[in-house]
Amino acid sequence: MLGNRIGVISCSGEECLGGTISRLAVRKMMEELKPGMVSTLCLPLFIAGDGGEREFAEKYPTIAVDGCSKCCAKRAIEKYSSAVAGSIDVAEIIGEAKALEKPLSTRYITDLHMEYVNQTAAKTCEIFDEILAKQ
Amino acid sequence: MSKIKVIPCSGIGKVFGLLARESVLMVTEEKCPDECETLCLAHVVTGDDEVVGKINGENCITMDGCAKYCAKKSVEETGGIVVKSHKVPDYIKAHRGEEHGTGTYLTDDGWKYAEELAEIMVEDIKEIKAGVN
Amino acid sequence: MSESLCVLPCNGLDKCAGDLSRRVAQEMAKSEEVELICPVLLNQNKSRYEKALEAGSLTVIDGCNTRCASKLAADLELAIKEKVNVSEVAKSLDIKLGIEIREDQDTQAVIQAVLGKINSSAAEQVESEFVEPESVEYNTFSHGKFIFKVPKANYYFNENDCWVTVSGNMARVGVSDYVQQNLSDILYVDPPEIGDEFEQFDDLGSIESSKAVFEIVSPVAGTVVAVNAGLSDAPEQVNESPYEKGWLVEVRLSDFEEDQDLLHDCPAYFEFLKRKVAEIDV
Repeated sequence: MLGNRIGVISCSGEECLGGTISRLAVRKMMEELKPGMVSTLCLPLFIAGDGGEREFAEKYPTIAVDGCSKCCAKRAIEKYSSAVAGSIDVAEIIGEAKALEKPLSTRYITDLHMEYVNQTAAKTCEIFDEILAKQ
Repeated sequence: MSKIKVIPCSGIGKVFGLLARESVLMVTEEKCPDECETLCLAHVVTGDDEVVGKINGENCITMDGCAKYCAKKSVEETGGIVVKSHKVPDYIKAHRGEEHGTGTYLTDDGWKYAEELAEIMVEDIKEIKAGVN
Repeated sequence: MSESLCVLPCNGLDKCAGDLSRRVAQEMAKSEEVELICPVLLNQNKSRYEKALEAGSLTVIDGCNTRCASKLAADLELAIKEKVNVSEVAKSLDIKLGIEIREDQDTQAVIQAVLGKINSSAAEQVESEFVEPESVEYNTFSHGKFIFKVPKANYYFNENDCWVTVSGNMARVGVSDYVQQNLSDILYVDPPEIGDEFEQFDDLGSIESSKAVFEIVSPVAGTVVAVNAGLSDAPEQVNESPYEKGWLVEVRLSDFEEDQDLLHDCPAYFEFLKRKVAEIDV
């Protein structure tokens, strides 16, 4: 329940493929790659100002993972808390056109989609490790 | 007539967020793609001009994962008219004892529950289109 | 039983509790005023029982926590007057039922207890004598992204994170903010029965989220006089207001002075919780 002192926040991404990829990448980080080492923040709660999400992002380094170049998660952290410790834009990894494709239900995930998830998660872990090394 | 907006909360931490998201995608992508559309909640609250323009004064249905009602509150604050508001736990009593999955994946029971939630929203859409609020 | 009654047992063929559910229902159906409802037939053809359900109230007997009979009744939108869970009755008698279908002293005892529960006239919830405080002030501390709150005064806690607050010889019992944050969204509240007598540290019902079931360990001894009926439709009140609107049980106290010796007051619980939270994070 209490997690660790580096936060990761994904965009909510209902409108495009990039949103699904960013969510799954963050889930992969918390479940497989860095289990028990990250605190995931909920973007809707963060923006609503409820919970301790904003307070956490003020105190501790937080990485934003966004599904498209609008970078809602990154902008939300910068607006309500402080500068992000790191930022990933899925569109830069898989291409803008791909990221803006129709939203994807988890029922229809293909191996290619999972490859996108793996790439995104790996990049996020790189940033995570850099932050950890500095702590 | 512009499409009805159906907006989930999409909370990442719990299965209810995924249930909200998947049930809404069923409605907007499969069951009623001509009558409704979804919008990204993050765009709504960060004040994306295009999205705010689509919501302001428009009929909206929200599906939240929990009683914090992030989607409902955010849409209302942006000027959307939340005609129907649901949260995933509203219908959970008949599903007690089932395992629905996690924030990453849904089980078979989870998909059935998502389907049930989607059908509830389909009925909402029919009501709205028939002019009954 | 003076009014007519319908009884719907579960259809559990694969374990003892399901068999007992059927046997209780058959025992009840010996009375002319009781109509036994077959769950399979009800599912296939609800109209078969329409008249009986209109004329009488419905008692549902679930074998276990899967609650198939309750779910069937809910799916068919039937009004349920009373629900009994055979496994829970067995647990309260400290009897393990297991899978094997059997007929012995233990199973007879469970059958009689379930019948007794159904036949006894339900105690009415009395008008509350509890005087709610005008406002409650809190101390808070944060750990990671979590902020925990504890009232500043007038609440007492056991080390199972359940609280009691007292008004005369009445009290209300609930769970702390720490519990509701751990459990996340509370989905079901299973309260005790009105009229139940209990000792300090006895189980006083439970609350359930998608993550876990939490047994309420009573901080006091007494008799149940009321339960927070609103939580049946709005269990999230326990999350939103664990110390105020999310109260669970109202009790008439037996001897609070004695109970208090084993409880933490607010400042002591605050320190206790800070240590507990810090230890979990190690």
